[in-house]
Amino acid sequence: MNFIDLLMLGFGEAMTLQNLSFCLLGALLGTLIGVLPGIGPTATIAVLLPITFFLPPLAGIIMLAGIYYGAQYGGSTTAILVNLPGEASAVVTTLDGYQMAQQGRAGAALAVAALGSFFAGTVATFAIAIAGPMLSQFALSFGPAEYVALMVFGLLAATILASGPVLKAIGMILVGLLLGMVGTDQATGAERLTFGAVELFDGIDFIVIAIGLFGFSEIIANLERSGSEGVTVAPITRLWPTRDDFRRSWRAVLRGTGLGTLLGLLPGGGATLASFSAYSLEKRVSRHPEQFGKGVVEGVAAPEAANNAAAQSSFIPLLTLGIPSNNMMAMMLSAFMIHGITPGPSVLTNQPEIFWGLVASMWIGNLLLVVINLPMIGLWVKLLNVPYRLLYPAILLFCCIGVYSMNNRIFDVMLAAGFGLLGYAFRKAKCEPGPLLLGFVLGPLLEANLRRTLLIEQGDPSIFVERPISLVMLIATVALLAMMIFPAFRKKREEAFQEEEA
Amino acid sequence: MKTLLALPLAAVLSAGFATTALADWPTDRPIELIVAYSPGGGTDIMLRTLAPYLEADLGTQIPVLNRPGASGEIAYTALSQARPDGYTLSSLNVPGFLTMRIGRKLRFDPADICPVARIVEDPGMFVVQADSPYNSLADVVAYAKDHPGAVSVGTTGVGTDEHLAMLQLEQSAGIKLTAVPFGGANEARTALLGGHVTLIGLNAGEFASTEPGQIKALGQFGEQRSTLAPDLPTAKEQGFDVLMASERGMATRCDVPEEIRARLAASVEKALTNPEFQEKAKQQGLALSYQSGADWSAAMPARLERFQEIFKLIKDRQ
Amino acid sequence: MAGPGVPNKGDRPDLLTAAIFIGLGALGLWQTSALDGGTLAMMGPGYLPRVVCGLLIAIGLVVGFNAMRREAVAIDPIKLRPVIVITLSIVVFAYAATHAGFVLASLFLIIAGSLADPGGKWRTTLLLAAGLTLFGALVFVYGLGVQVPLWPF
Repeated sequence: MNFIDLLMLGFGEAMTLQNLSFCLLGALLGTLIGVLPGIGPTATIAVLLPITFFLPPLAGIIMLAGIYYGAQYGGSTTAILVNLPGEASAVVTTLDGYQMAQQGRAGAALAVAALGSFFAGTVATFAIAIAGPMLSQFALSFGPAEYVALMVFGLLAATILASGPVLKAIGMILVGLLLGMVGTDQATGAERLTFGAVELFDGIDFIVIAIGLFGFSEIIANLERSGSEGVTVAPITRLWPTRDDFRRSWRAVLRGTGLGTLLGLLPGGGATLASFSAYSLEKRVSRHPEQFGKGVVEGVAAPEAANNAAAQSSFIPLLTLGIPSNNMMAMMLSAFMIHGITPGPSVLTNQPEIFWGLVASMWIGNLLLVVINLPMIGLWVKLLNVPYRLLYPAILLFCCIGVYSMNNRIFDVMLAAGFGLLGYAFRKAKCEPGPLLLGFVLGPLLEANLRRTLLIEQGDPSIFVERPISLVMLIATVALLAMMIFPAFRKKREEAFQEEEA
Repeated sequence: MKTLLALPLAAVLSAGFATTALADWPTDRPIELIVAYSPGGGTDIMLRTLAPYLEADLGTQIPVLNRPGASGEIAYTALSQARPDGYTLSSLNVPGFLTMRIGRKLRFDPADICPVARIVEDPGMFVVQADSPYNSLADVVAYAKDHPGAVSVGTTGVGTDEHLAMLQLEQSAGIKLTAVPFGGANEARTALLGGHVTLIGLNAGEFASTEPGQIKALGQFGEQRSTLAPDLPTAKEQGFDVLMASERGMATRCDVPEEIRARLAASVEKALTNPEFQEKAKQQGLALSYQSGADWSAAMPARLERFQEIFKLIKDRQ
Repeated sequence: MAGPGVPNKGDRPDLLTAAIFIGLGALGLWQTSALDGGTLAMMGPGYLPRVVCGLLIAIGLVVGFNAMRREAVAIDPIKLRPVIVITLSIVVFAYAATHAGFVLASLFLIIAGSLADPGGKWRTTLLLAAGLTLFGALVFVYGLGVQVPLWPF
């Protein structure tokens, strides 16, 4: 069978009434848990996993996949409306998305996010279909040395994110790295920075930090600035994106999709790295980088496209090699296993209807999400008209339950309250928390891989320049560093020259 | 912090119920099953699959409560603070339950927790890429003898099953290997497939769930060959003294009345003979191996002693 | 903070940044002081944390030093009421959720949280608390299976 036949087979499978309704159910459920801060797709899928026993294999897997990418859509909604990233990959969406909402352009931001995500999802779905096996080889060629180079590059690129001074951004990344080191050291089992608290042995959860730094401290800051009466957003001028918005965002969506599809293949921080790098890239190539962080549409389009593309392409290693690239994919692996299916090359040949049915359902699911979400935008935007006095207690409650639900323990909620205070202090110090979160997510990967590389090479660092992928990435890092230093240097020199002339 | 956590835990677990007469056990009051790992992990799925069979047999609800963290310490602490009325169970994982007390101060007393029944015994294995030149443990040992430190072994950290198995092999064969820690079995497997490490440790269940043709096993570390890999020789058969198996089961507090513990164990044993459950277990790669709580407890001191010796090895080396 | 008598040098937000960075760095160094550093080939658990803490302190010093020489910038005024009320109500909610059940904890959180902002009407607050608690119980506890008791008994 050729590619078209297989795709047709897949659509035939995915379009049955049963599979279509489970796809819709998954997408709806995913949107719901994506919108509710804190409650993540991993926990939801775990709860639903036993239920899939009673469903046909494909229907169950289609529903779980729907929850996963549905949550990616829903996550951007809270990021834009109330400055609350539900997942690491939605952190950058808050930078410009929330600003747009403040300026009365929430509708445009949400629509661009939905359409960009749909486009990215479509491209990534076809990437899985066409080049899945080839792309997974790319993922395998990433050994510890390549990861180190990639992480160093990613962290440095993150400093572009912040609009403030570079030095403070680097400091925030370091704070993030330090927070990422809390817990039991993976390699030796030693306790680090836990202050003896057994709850910290497994480290701090991302959600605890995100809800503390963004959710709680945003509420405190809003109330402090003006009391709840004063928190108002600009009146909504226009629900839909303007022609200009489209003109400005299509290139960003394209670039974000490409980056996301590639980085999503990589285990661990793939999706997060994708959205951060997409944003950094846009800011870098933009002709007006100073507007980033003040509500530009490209700043929403690029990372949203990137994280959705990455969410889809993270299925590639699982489907083609049987390797889950993150917790979510590990859960999907269990879902396959429950039905006695071991994902991998043999599924492609022996049970093509499973693989192609899932791929086709992803595209259908993305389409359904756009259809569900576009009309909802009107509703979401109305949410902004709810007086803040009524809105903030609700946000407070949802955040608290979300944090609690991760490990069912009060310690996490108290820790989040602590991070709320820290976030408040950062606001007073004019430090942006975005780079901190990236450092927190990537730090453990950087450390583990650096130590692994040096263990395997028995202390010889020359491997970093011997392996081609790692070398390219390190050269890019040096170039980026030079680009960051030299403009400032040149400007100083120009100023000096002007002074001389004066 | 200690009391802050302890109080509500105790409160939620004993949730205001009066102790019911033992003869009535179980009433329609739900029996909480604490799982020491996050939802979706191997232990969680195993117990979530088992729970409906126990519910049917005991005629009551068995909700699963996840209390993940600190490799089980949080769950065991919660169990040891629950009422000894048979309405609180927890998962029990060996060797984690035994090794955590070595060189670490625990929040609970391991002597308070008694196994009810063992459900799974999953031996460890060493696994290489399918096209690797090594076909047995002896092949690896021979190479490592000539090239100390050149063979890298993917583990999931110091003191984990794979690492302890590696130390035993080093000790038994007189060689030196390099342990490379990964975040979990999946990460290690990815690195193996990419050729970034020589071999990795996997459990038989994890090996069985890997696409055939990608990797091959060199030897298994159970006392006997596992039902999941009947053709693979054990390390003992190959002449190396390496014993490592991951065992999973359930536990209660030791002061839960004996009749209740026996009733629970009988219920688990019954479920394990149910063909429907066996079919599900097979699909999940679970190596079912029932053992009564008493037999399992009796085997523990010897194992603990062995682990203590291995941990001494780690300490000496540092 | 920005009262009279403030010298006309010193960027206060940046000085606060420096204090946070140096404080966290020092805290980290102190907490990891007992850990084994190891060598480059065999990094111990303490190696990288110390490097990161060192860099953090260094950056804190540079930021702080630069800030001292800049024109004075004041920190935005601080109102203690929202900070204290919000933080306390979260902490009490956390404790109450497992102790007294979700319903009471949620009612408390919303009513107490509303006090962060003076001038609310009691009727609205109570209605909001009841509505959100019902919504939370239905969606989170029943719908999504969050493992928390609903009632104190």
